[in-house]
Amino acid sequence: MIRFILTRLLRAFVTIVLVVTFAFVVLRLSGDPATIILGPEAPPEAIAAFRASWGLDQPVMVQYVQYFAAILQGDLGMSMRDGRPAFDLVMERIPATLALTIPALFLKLALGVPAGVYAALHQGTAFDRTVMVAAVMGFAVPSFVLALGLVLVFAVNLGWLPSGGRDTVWHAILPIITLGLGGAAALARFTRSAMLEVLGQPYIRTASSKGLAWAVVVRSHALPNAAIPTVTLIGFLVGSLIAGAIVVESVFSWPGVGRLMVVAVANRDLAVVQCILLLVATTMVTSNLIVDFLYGALDPRLRHGARAAA
Amino acid sequence: MTDIATATPAPALRLPRMPWYVALGMGWIIFVLTVALLADVITPYVFTAMDLKYRLVPPFQTWAHPLGTDELGRDVLSRLIVSIRVSLLIAFGATVISAVLGTTLGFLAAHFRGIVEQAVLMLADFQAALPFLILALSVLAFFGNSLPLLIGLMGLYGWERYARIARGLAISASAQGYATAITQLGATPQRVYLRHILPNIASTLIVSMTLIFPEVILLESGLSFLGLGVQPPMTSLGNMVGYGREYITRAAWIMLCPATVIVLTTLAVSLVGDWLRDRLDPTLG
Repeated sequence: MIRFILTRLLRAFVTIVLVVTFAFVVLRLSGDPATIILGPEAPPEAIAAFRASWGLDQPVMVQYVQYFAAILQGDLGMSMRDGRPAFDLVMERIPATLALTIPALFLKLALGVPAGVYAALHQGTAFDRTVMVAAVMGFAVPSFVLALGLVLVFAVNLGWLPSGGRDTVWHAILPIITLGLGGAAALARFTRSAMLEVLGQPYIRTASSKGLAWAVVVRSHALPNAAIPTVTLIGFLVGSLIAGAIVVESVFSWPGVGRLMVVAVANRDLAVVQCILLLVATTMVTSNLIVDFLYGALDPRLRHGARAAA
Repeated sequence: MTDIATATPAPALRLPRMPWYVALGMGWIIFVLTVALLADVITPYVFTAMDLKYRLVPPFQTWAHPLGTDELGRDVLSRLIVSIRVSLLIAFGATVISAVLGTTLGFLAAHFRGIVEQAVLMLADFQAALPFLILALSVLAFFGNSLPLLIGLMGLYGWERYARIARGLAISASAQGYATAITQLGATPQRVYLRHILPNIASTLIVSMTLIFPEVILLESGLSFLGLGVQPPMTSLGNMVGYGREYITRAAWIMLCPATVIVLTTLAVSLVGDWLRDRLDPTLG
């Protein structure tokens, strides 16, 4: 078990190091920071002074170590746009994003998991087919099209809900529905196939042929086993709580992290972009780690086996 | 593709039986491909041409502009046709790049094993751990935007899936008699992998391509919608939706036409892809 935890921690650490390295490499490749920040017409002395003060005259390896050290101390640079620390700018936006993504996550779970389980238990019925059609549509309709469709119906034509902004609770409804519906479709499809696979296993036949009531078979044999792959997907959804709303926030002018990211990319505000990149990577890696541990707890085979099927 | 013939006892030359929705999907794919190929010939107007007398004309009002016009009097049908071409071009280019890159890395991992394999798997884990949109946005922020960069960037999408599949299949193929026999006959590794193993695993890779292709379309249209993908005056489906969003209250058709094409195309390709997967390779997730 300790070995299992240690390997997972090591892999998570390696992923984070890769992300930081990626940020460092693209930052260096994208041009001379001195010219970007001071402008192409800056006098050579100013550029030299700037390079010295930021350590840009050092060898690349030294810069890399310094970059790492700065990040470990929480120093992610200043936003080039309003001169405040990028980290603070991003943190300010997190509550707004979570206000959308957490209710949306519950919506996905509340719709997707029961629909998937029910469809699998009643395979081939009209309900099952409806779930499958909805799942395929949920994949094919991109979130911005769904969002604009909802705006067109509920904001423009019916006038029931506002189309953008963040003034009242009502403003959150359309974005939450947009995020929730798309995710619910994927979750339902996934839960259904996980459940169908478990239902086809010999131990289910054994359990029901030894006289257990079908409800008991489902509850205590099928559901726990089908939960294992579904937990992975839910872990992924939790990991994307921060990054999952980029497009939807932009459609609804919702002042969250995703909107900040889009604006920062358009303005090439590199410090902010880099900060969001690291934040998202850390959340993803952390939630993957938690999923791995949960997996180990749910499925003893993995604790003792070498490596989960990647 | 010889696998299909051996898998189904049906006589050659007969179309394989497919459900009606798959047939419809096929039809739609052929239609958009034709439109994309013939774009120069069939566009009624130059897609950037403005006709200020006819601004915001609704669809089906005049034969001159069957799908209406936008705020600048540009013909929506012409823009739609050019957008289909651009979006499909990016998606095709990206899918091919990604498949070639991923398969090559997968083969390298299978051939050298050891540290090369570990490095490829680590990169694949890294790629899978980060939402691609975040990665793509970061690269665009750092390097600015251009069409070749955009195609190259999209070409990184999904490579890790091809790499894992190619690695797994190549490892099991090289354990089979034919690969060993060819190697003993003195074939170079390139020859073994490209002439013998690749054709044997091609059907699985093609199925993966049809499953990843619609995701690439969605990704490109999402980026272009945000104004960070294809840049004006060039146009793409996502771009048109992004532009049409401004006129959603007065001229919803500007946005609805490209949105419909995006949905129908992803739907068609994924229906056909799912069907192909069920026929050729039910083991693929």
